[in-house]
Amino acid sequence: MNNIFDCKLLLVDDEPQLLEMLRSILRKEGFQKLIAATSCLEARRLFATERPEGVILDVTLPDGDGFSLMREFREQSAVPVLFLSARDEDENRLLGLGLGADDYMTKPFLPRELSLRLKAILTRTYFPAVLTQKAKPVFRLGQAEIDLNSGTVSTKAGQLTLTAKEFTLLKKLYENRGNIVTGDSLCRAAWDDDLYGYENTLMVHIRRLREKIEPEPSAPQYLLTVRGLGYKLTGAEDT
Amino acid sequence: MKSMMKILARYVLSAAGIALILLTVNFGAMIAWIIQSKNVVQHTGDVAQLSDELTLQNGTYAISETALITIDNEYQWAMLIGNNGTVLWSFHLPADVPLHYTLSDVAGFSHWYLNDYPVHVWRRTDSLFVLGSEKGSIFKHGIEAPQSAMDNVLVWIPATLILNGMVAVLLALLFSLRFFRSLKPLAKGIEDMAENHPVTLSTNGILGPLASEINQTSEKLVRQEAALKTRDNARTTWIAGVSHDIRTPLSMVMGYASQLENDPELAPAKRKQAQIIRSQSERIKALVNDLNLASKLEYHMQPLQKDTVLLAALLRGVAADFINGGLPDMFSIEVEISREGQNTAVEGDEKLLKRAVSNLIGNSIKHNPEGCAIKAVLSKNESVCTLSVSDNGVGFRPDVLKSLKLPHALIKLQAHGLGLTIVRQIVKIHSGTVAFHNLPQGGCETILSFPLHCV
Repeated sequence: MNNIFDCKLLLVDDEPQLLEMLRSILRKEGFQKLIAATSCLEARRLFATERPEGVILDVTLPDGDGFSLMREFREQSAVPVLFLSARDEDENRLLGLGLGADDYMTKPFLPRELSLRLKAILTRTYFPAVLTQKAKPVFRLGQAEIDLNSGTVSTKAGQLTLTAKEFTLLKKLYENRGNIVTGDSLCRAAWDDDLYGYENTLMVHIRRLREKIEPEPSAPQYLLTVRGLGYKLTGAEDT
Repeated sequence: MKSMMKILARYVLSAAGIALILLTVNFGAMIAWIIQSKNVVQHTGDVAQLSDELTLQNGTYAISETALITIDNEYQWAMLIGNNGTVLWSFHLPADVPLHYTLSDVAGFSHWYLNDYPVHVWRRTDSLFVLGSEKGSIFKHGIEAPQSAMDNVLVWIPATLILNGMVAVLLALLFSLRFFRSLKPLAKGIEDMAENHPVTLSTNGILGPLASEINQTSEKLVRQEAALKTRDNARTTWIAGVSHDIRTPLSMVMGYASQLENDPELAPAKRKQAQIIRSQSERIKALVNDLNLASKLEYHMQPLQKDTVLLAALLRGVAADFINGGLPDMFSIEVEISREGQNTAVEGDEKLLKRAVSNLIGNSIKHNPEGCAIKAVLSKNESVCTLSVSDNGVGFRPDVLKSLKLPHALIKLQAHGLGLTIVRQIVKIHSGTVAFHNLPQGGCETILSFPLHCV
């Protein structure tokens, strides 16, 4: 297997027309090996003979339920399973994920979202190296280059090292770059506590962070304050 | 139980009151009886006056005509006994009355009866005047009491009355305690019934029939409650079923529309149409989800994941989500949290509370396509925290506002969807209150108030 598109996918749903649509969506995305079943019985047979590398599973099936079917599959292999269910109750979602499903989506769904999620779980299962490489990014904020692997900020003036808290805060902001990150989320990430009582501490850490990454810390261009809500990192360019 | 104590106290007091009233009435009746019985035989002339009428004239006794008439009307006979015991004069003397008396005879009848005739006696200087009434017409009884006892009569009477009152109160208390004890299970039963618990009381004792009626009523209530629950359940299940069944066909509408929308071979106008189909399908999805949630909230089928929720963080999070989700520039969201409001916590379901705030902000955005400034404010006093969402847009339509002010049970489904109904339901299950109104300067405001959990 060279890439995720080589994966053989088993699609299980009691509605043949929906299976047809899934086929067309996935084929368009580049998946070529697609097999489909409309019942537990058929799914079991196909699973045994075809050995699929990924399963998209409906919960409500004419001769059983998807949850127990997944349990059976899991006894034989660690195949990734994505539930596609018309049941949206939290209990069902939690039950599915609790049983070890890799993802749970509710109908109706957007084809784009389905393919993104499917690709994510297949990549995670079969090509985890790709993920770890991407995990610690290096990016630029104007003249400064920030390396989250080493936790350093390099400018023309030299290299500065981020403290642990500064690193956590910057990482959180970078992960949500372009978006507002509330003070509450930052506090959870850095101190694992509620914001109340940490307002000043957070402010002090943000100021120190600005001193390291901003060319002019008193008039920040990249790490912006969103009054009343939190902070936002803008202008980050991936290297 | 408090009301039972009140009933008990009132019962004791009224019993004591009844006793006192009875005593007074009896006393009054006795006095009335005495006065009345005196009136029955009205003596116009008493024995002394009649005796004076009898005079010795020329050796014989004579009496006036009027005196004789009086004796005839009011007594029966009369006689005068000389000091030697011989009858000197008589009038209508019956045959069974002797004409001679010894000293012991006189002592015997002087205050009582003479041969069963009730007599009145008057002592003259030389003789004894005796008036006799009809047999059996007067009851006579001598009263005798120690002087010391009579001296204290003014102390004794009130003391007796007080004692009577006290005994009455004590007895009332005793009886009411017994009554109270037998009423207690009944009161408990009624309380239980009010809280919808099934009630089975013992049907023994004087209150047995009452208890059995309470049992029957409770049984009926339980049955009705169960029937209502079944119906609500059926309705919620039905709505959940419909919304479940609609999802698969909707998936296909959405899926194919989305594919057409992204198909580069199609003309831009067709792709635009496909995009409209896709976005409208998403609206149907949202509506179905709303309907499902509203029906579950209405019939208490929505499982609550209660936790301590920090409202300030929740508000900031929702506002940030809206802005991060790509809020167009003509909208602005401002969050204002008072100093006291910063650590406001309520006990509740975070997801639902978030939903309520999102619905309100989403409503402002939806109804003001020209844009508006949205403001969310969190404040707190000793017992309540208030969370308000306002905007400077078009405000609520008058008919919508009218329906929002109706009591919960009367609210009707509006053409504008279930967003605000869900807000009301979420606030209700968090024991809070919600108020909707339009602002004088334009725009609308919704104020949610929650009882405080902790500080």
